[in-house]
Formats: sequence, C-alpha cells, structure tokens
Amino acid sequence: MSNQDYYVPHGTYWPIIGSIGVSTLFVGFANQMHGVEWGGSVMGLGLAIIIFMMFGWLGTVVNESVNGLYNKQVDKSFRWGMSWFIFSEVMFFAAFFGALFYARILSVPWLGGADNNLFTPELWDGFKAVWPLINTPGAVGQGGTEWSQGYALVNTWGLPALNTGLLLTSGVTLTYAHHALRKGHRNALVFWMLATIALGAAFLGFQIAEYGHAYHDGLKLTSGIYGSTFYLLTGFHGFHVTIGVIMLTVILYRIQKGHFDSDNHFAFEGVAWYWHFVDVVWLGLFIFVYWI
Amino acid sequence: MGYIVIAIIVVILFSLGSALIGMVKGGKEGSEKMFKSLRIRIGLSVFLFALLMFSGFMGWIEPNTTMLPTQ
Repeated sequence: MSNQDYYVPHGTYWPIIGSIGVSTLFVGFANQMHGVEWGGSVMGLGLAIIIFMMFGWLGTVVNESVNGLYNKQVDKSFRWGMSWFIFSEVMFFAAFFGALFYARILSVPWLGGADNNLFTPELWDGFKAVWPLINTPGAVGQGGTEWSQGYALVNTWGLPALNTGLLLTSGVTLTYAHHALRKGHRNALVFWMLATIALGAAFLGFQIAEYGHAYHDGLKLTSGIYGSTFYLLTGFHGFHVTIGVIMLTVILYRIQKGHFDSDNHFAFEGVAWYWHFVDVVWLGLFIFVYWI
Repeated sequence: MGYIVIAIIVVILFSLGSALIGMVKGGKEGSEKMFKSLRIRIGLSVFLFALLMFSGFMGWIEPNTTMLPTQ
C-alpha cells in the first residue's frame, strides 16, 4: 500500500468518452421522440458507447486497486461514494412510495369527499373512493361499474408471493456467501454467489411473466393511479434487480480472479448492501402494493 | 396486525441502516458490524414474510389486489 496522502488520479480519457456516449444517447432519444428514422439506431450507439466506457473505466479502477495503487484514503472515499449513491437511491424509492401513499391515503379519499370536502364528489359526479383505483376519475367506469366489481387484478398468492420467496432466499444465500468470504471458504463463496445470481435471474423471469399476465388482464400504465404506481414501483425495482444481478456477476468474476480476501472486499460489501436494499424494497412493495 | 407488520419493517430498516454505517466505517470492526446487521435484517425479513403468508392463510388479513364491490 502506498502512502496515505490524498490520491490524485492520473489523466484519463474515459470521462470524455462517457460525455460523448450520454450526448449521443440523448440526441438519439430526442429524434426518436420526433419520429426521426435514425433516432433509435443513434440511441443504441449512445448506449453502446456508455457500456464501453463503463467496462473501460471500471476496469481501470479494478486494475489500479489490484495493483496496490490505492491507500486507506481512497478506500474511505469509495465507501463515502457508495453511501451517497445509496442516499440517492433511497430518495428515489421514498418519492415513489410517497406517491403511492399520497394517492391511497389522501388524494383518492379526498376525491370521494373525505376530510374537508374541498374536492367534493361534484368534481366527478358519482365518483367513489376505492382502492385499487384503476380508472382515472372522469373516465368510463370510474363510477363503480366494470372495474370495481370483485375483479382480481393480480393473484397475490401466485407469482408475487413466489417472487418474494425467491428474493428473500437470495438474501439468505448472499448472507452465506458473505460469511464464506469472511471465513476464507472459497468454494462455498462461489457456490452461494451462483445461487444468489440464479435466484435473482429467476425473480426477473417471473416478474416478466407477471407483467404479461397483468397486461393481458387489462392492468396497464394507463389503468388509473393504481396502474401507474404499480408499474412505476415494480418496474423501477425490477430495473434495480437487473443492475444487482449484473453487479453480482461481476463480483463473482472478480472472486474467480482472486481479487478479494477475508479482510479486503469492499466491492463485495457494496454490492451485498445494494442487494439487501433491493430485497427490502421488494418486501415493502409486496406488503404495501399487494397486502396492506 | 398492520402495526405489527410496520413495527417489524421499522426494525428491518434500522438494521439496514446500521449495516450501512458499518460499511462506511470500514475496517475489521465496521465489517463485523455490517455483517451482523445484515444477518438480523434477513432473519427478520424471512420471519415477516412467513408471518404474512400464515396470516393470509388463516384469513386474518386479506390481499388488497382484489377489487371490492363499492356498495
């Protein structure tokens, strides 16, 4: 390990490549939105540049770490960097859960005439405050007709319960992997990591299947405030599980390369915490979207 | 029932936060704190899931994904 002074990174071209990638992505996206023919292809190119940049930049960081260029000060800055990233993630999910709670506990009952009656039922005559509300007030069916007569949106006992079981089991297997790493049991570590990745991938597969069922049964992004918050929360969560599975796979690769030992494994700790976080978010979703 | 569920969720969030503090702290002590907190968090989560499933099975709670008649 080198000295403990502030670490000054060497010159690198990866940030400018990242900027070019993001700019290309947005130019493509804007044109796609305007129906320009090449918009989609340029978006794909931008995404490819960003992925190339991530491989290159993160690969450089890993190499520097493995070659002992980092000191305790750098280790500390990585830990703080991860905690700020986590803070932004917590705020993201807090906002989305907040939207769900606001709609459910405040705005929908208000529209039905609850509390101070500022938003009286006259706003939309005959509107009844129900949850799940899957019609936007004013649209056909909101008066308690076609959608609100004992219609099963999603079977809580089916895929959602199975997926919760899968994700919680992945939390258990990851904890075993963590234990194995701390004790230096390499084979057990690889086995439990593989199990965690497989469970995460299975979760994603079932989530796609559930979306297929829900969409087929008429629950869409446009299905009122319930449809919007359902897809926003579960979709954003599914995106995080995807990122988590990719990160766990990278960590497994690094384990195979022998990058970690029982005392130095911050990358593993960061990803493990992230996975536990994603697991807790799902548990919250399962409880507040499907049960309570 | 709802209050019990929420109380367990609060403890789970607290354990997750405690693990985060351990991670930021680093070193042997921080690493130990992180691992112990995560163990509590997964144990409680599995317990909560089992409790929900059992309560649903016994009919103590009902899923909210089935639309109830408005009248």
